[in-house]
Amino acid sequence: MPSEKMLTVKDAILEALFEEMARDDRVCIIGEDVGVAGGVFGQTKGLFEKFGEARVVDTPISEPAIFGMTVGAAMAGLRPVVEVMFGDFITLVMDQLVNQAAKIHYMSAGGYTVPLVLRTAVGVGGNLGPQHSQSFHAWVAHVPGLKVVMPQSPADAKGLMKAAIRDNNPVVFIEDRTTYNVKGPIPDGDVIVPLGKANVVREGRDVTIVAVSRMVQIATKAADILAGEGIAVEIVDPRCIVPLDRETILASVRKTSRALVLDAGHLDYGITGEIAAIISEQAFDYLDAPVARLAAPNVLIPCNTALEPLIVPNEQQIAQKIREMLNA
Amino acid sequence: MPEIVSREARLSLLERMLLMRRFEEAVIHAAAKHKYIGRNHLYIGHEGTGAAVMAQLKPGDLAHTTHRNHGHIVGRGADPGRALAEIMGREGGLCGGRGGTWHMTDTSVGFQSTSAMVGGSIGLATGGGFACKQLGQGNVSVALFGDGVLDEGISYEAFNFASQYSLPILFMCENNEKPGRRETSMLAADRLLDIPKALKIHTMTVDGGDVEAVHAAVGEALARIRKDQVPVFIESQIEAWPGSHQHKPEFTTGETDISMAWDTGKITGPHADWIRQEPILRYVRKLLAEKAAAQADIEALDKKVQAKMAKARDFAEASPFPQAEGAILGAFA
Repeated sequence: MPSEKMLTVKDAILEALFEEMARDDRVCIIGEDVGVAGGVFGQTKGLFEKFGEARVVDTPISEPAIFGMTVGAAMAGLRPVVEVMFGDFITLVMDQLVNQAAKIHYMSAGGYTVPLVLRTAVGVGGNLGPQHSQSFHAWVAHVPGLKVVMPQSPADAKGLMKAAIRDNNPVVFIEDRTTYNVKGPIPDGDVIVPLGKANVVREGRDVTIVAVSRMVQIATKAADILAGEGIAVEIVDPRCIVPLDRETILASVRKTSRALVLDAGHLDYGITGEIAAIISEQAFDYLDAPVARLAAPNVLIPCNTALEPLIVPNEQQIAQKIREMLNA
Repeated sequence: MPEIVSREARLSLLERMLLMRRFEEAVIHAAAKHKYIGRNHLYIGHEGTGAAVMAQLKPGDLAHTTHRNHGHIVGRGADPGRALAEIMGREGGLCGGRGGTWHMTDTSVGFQSTSAMVGGSIGLATGGGFACKQLGQGNVSVALFGDGVLDEGISYEAFNFASQYSLPILFMCENNEKPGRRETSMLAADRLLDIPKALKIHTMTVDGGDVEAVHAAVGEALARIRKDQVPVFIESQIEAWPGSHQHKPEFTTGETDISMAWDTGKITGPHADWIRQEPILRYVRKLLAEKAAAQADIEALDKKVQAKMAKARDFAEASPFPQAEGAILGAFA
């Protein structure tokens, strides 16, 4: 067996950036501390040295103008990757993201496109508190005209970033910091993971878990626990929440007849409700139990590592929920 | 300062201003005839600024503007029939009727965006400047905006970034605040110019009612921007059109009668002061006084523009509304 390279999620995305910048001069990196410092998490390390200050641009702490600038640059022929340091700061670029980036293609009847990637890091953990732990993926997914990517494995993260850079739409690329150091094999070569194509991470006959990003990894732990009890869990990772691969989700639910939808974001008005509704509307006749959901409660995320575990559903809660679904 | 000397160039500038004016008059007519749901951001009175800028942009240069954009887009060379059709929501419009008065674009003339979000043009145009520099074709980006934009934080941020990274951008502020009326911008600074100046951007101020003065200032600015790859900020001081705050477009100051330039006795009514100094009549008077044109030349030019607008109007009115099913298409490329 050929020895595949092992990389962390963080380094896999960085490798995608190196490869795409080498392949296409129009790709540039823009953001706070992305250049000389190499990113606050080391996520852009080495790009500045290789590609120079014209293409790896350190910006002032001016999110609205910097993101607006990125939109204008994308319209004018560049393919920028702009970094919003923490997912929470996406609130600062919302006007430019929602009222400009998402609407330019439609308003110009296809005359202009906005090929940019907004990458941002989210995640509960590490004592970062209510202003640095939120994930607004449901907010951005609610806006027509934006694609939303949420990778979990190193290979997916790399292949999806390459696809996002080559896409002609604004793509919000949401990385969970708690997955950054997860290691996994990276296939050789220029491998693209298409946007909008789900991955069946684990096959099973008894219940389907639908999860993205970090929740896939927690779901896998729950599936391991349940395997010991003779319960076979199937895990579907949509990888993108816009566009959402409904067919793969529905095909899995039609097979297992039970669905649990997970999210590290808030439960109320979040993506679990959307996905559960799709399953209920389109696979109702196949269901042996109501579609179940587990997500973060609608509370603030405390700045306290002792309290953080209350926020994101853990493998024990997931396993217990599935036992209840099967015994219902 | 680069001055306009040739008679052709001067008449061409006047023609551009007249097209902007007659276009807006067609919009008012269309609103009066219920051909479209009227809105009130007309470019009347601003022609001296828009014509001077658009006359000097080159192919490949990029323009981003605001809600008050009709004059900019036809001044840049977009087809007036397709622009009018767009405002009227017709299929034959520049954006298939999807952009409307607030969001017209025209890729064929580098007309990147018209944003109804105050401050929208300034961030996007900064990106245009960044791309122009990166792509190295010698093009420049222009942001057109009103004085109210200086109240938005994004303008400060964009000036700062453009200055630090030496981006080729013309920040063209059309200041139409009227002394005595409530000002659009509410800055603690004494002058609009103080803001970009503090961020080391070269600034100029010019009488927006004097098209040749604006032309000279813009010419100097563009030369500097192209040569040194730096941003320049120009404040063009404009006497606001008295009709600009109506809910529905109306002929507040009457349909433009070009002969008022020489037959000043015709100028009467509550808005006589505005009419006397409005940029088109003012420029005609100057051209006549300097013997660059005769009355007959001016009338012939106006007739030519009116004939062009009549054709544009026919095209727009004949264009069908888009099929409703089309509304769901095109969110993604």
